[in-house]
Amino acid sequence: MVIVKRKELSFAEQLYIPEILRGLSITFRKMFEPKVTRQYPEEALIKTDVTRGQPRLVVNEDNSIACVSCGLCEAACPAYAITIDGGETEREIEREPKRFDIDMLRCILCGFCEEACPKDAIYMSDELELADYSREALIYDMDKLKRPKKALQDRIDYVNRINDRWQTPSST
Amino acid sequence: MIAWQDLLVMVLKIALIFGGLINVGALMTLAERKFSAWMQYRIGPNRVGPWGLLQPLADGVKFIFKESLMPDGANKALFRFAPVIAALPAFMTIAVIPFSNDIVIAGKNYGKLAIADLDIGVLFLLAIGGLSVYGVILGGWASNSKFSLMGGLRASAQMISYELTLILTILAVIALSGTLNLAEISDGQATIGTWNIWSQPLGFMLFVIAMFAETNRHPFDFAECEAELVAGFHTEYSAMKFALFFLGEYSAMTVISCLATVLFLGGPSVPFWVDAPWYVGFGAFIAKTSMFLFLFIWVRWTLPRFRFDQLMGLGWKVMLPLALFNLFVTGVFVSLGWNLWAKLGSLI
Repeated sequence: MVIVKRKELSFAEQLYIPEILRGLSITFRKMFEPKVTRQYPEEALIKTDVTRGQPRLVVNEDNSIACVSCGLCEAACPAYAITIDGGETEREIEREPKRFDIDMLRCILCGFCEEACPKDAIYMSDELELADYSREALIYDMDKLKRPKKALQDRIDYVNRINDRWQTPSST
Repeated sequence: MIAWQDLLVMVLKIALIFGGLINVGALMTLAERKFSAWMQYRIGPNRVGPWGLLQPLADGVKFIFKESLMPDGANKALFRFAPVIAALPAFMTIAVIPFSNDIVIAGKNYGKLAIADLDIGVLFLLAIGGLSVYGVILGGWASNSKFSLMGGLRASAQMISYELTLILTILAVIALSGTLNLAEISDGQATIGTWNIWSQPLGFMLFVIAMFAETNRHPFDFAECEAELVAGFHTEYSAMKFALFFLGEYSAMTVISCLATVLFLGGPSVPFWVDAPWYVGFGAFIAKTSMFLFLFIWVRWTLPRFRFDQLMGLGWKVMLPLALFNLFVTGVFVSLGWNLWAKLGSLI
């Protein structure tokens, strides 16, 4: 059992009025202090490397897509948001996706696809805004998902830095 | 015989006062949100119109187009009638408030800016104003919901406790000024020294506290009591019926602020400018009333709600004896003819 000792109130405190006036003076002063509200659509969100936005596909410098349509991200996706149809290509890697769709309404921005990818082809960008007039328009195809590697470089560097941390000294 | 000019003047006054009251009620909802936001480091509504000024209009449109729900088993007639009773008294009582001194335009006297110059203005105001609690009680009872019923019950108990204090403090003012006519009460406080707040400091304090309880505002909003009773008496109300309850609350606040201005702050009297023109006096009246209205909001966002037994204890054990004491002392002074403050006031 815990007995809480109550504070003995002084006469002024028992009168309430001085204490009420003190409280009122505090709220009055707070009215003129700087506000913390961020006016969102006009003022952009603060983005860092850690910001995990929507997944995007990496496009190499020679304009070819880095993805080889192995399907690991499709398998890793817990929300079944990714659909891949693979196909052959004349390039050295021989395979590339013919169709790569991400249903943005299903995507939960977990980043598992990014972790699963063996070819560093899919990364979580810092793009967060997602609004449209129909459900169909929010199923993003390859054209909408492709991003030049340069645009994703900050995130790529960050992920590499984090991954390096898990490498034990003996394995390197 | 009533000349048509007199009729026109009267209609203009009525339009101005009622239109003003409705708009002040609507603007108060915006002010409430703005000031609360500023006190909590936020900005508040700023999207609809400049500084969010059209927000009340947007809210009104929203309320009109919302579905009006009625709970199963509700008393249909009373459920519909309650919001009307809650809102009506404020609009009736505003009629006796004198907003300015005699309006003189181009040498012609149009009388005070008041709808009715009743000799028993104070009595009328208290009698009709007391009806507004029926809206709360009936709304609570007709909803067929336990939360609403509790809210209505508490409102009635609270109203009985605090109306006594309110009336006793007003009685002391009436004893001082010797009239029930609100216009004459404010005429008797023409200079700042003769304002009743100086001769009735305790009465003023009690009036302000009872004023909060009468309008069901924080820290005495036991009829609503979001933490315990969901929303109290208007839990089951939606759409325009709910808006009417709100309009009633804010209008009641406006009227009682006007009353406080007339009774204690000299109505339209301007400090240190005895023969100010009527429009300056009207401005002074608006300023004083706005001060009270700001106090309502300010206190709401500062103090936590009382516990119900504390509310009752405060009402019966502290406020009522103090109000009686105040009335007694005032009575002694008046009956002995010691009008110290009037003498002092005439010196200023």
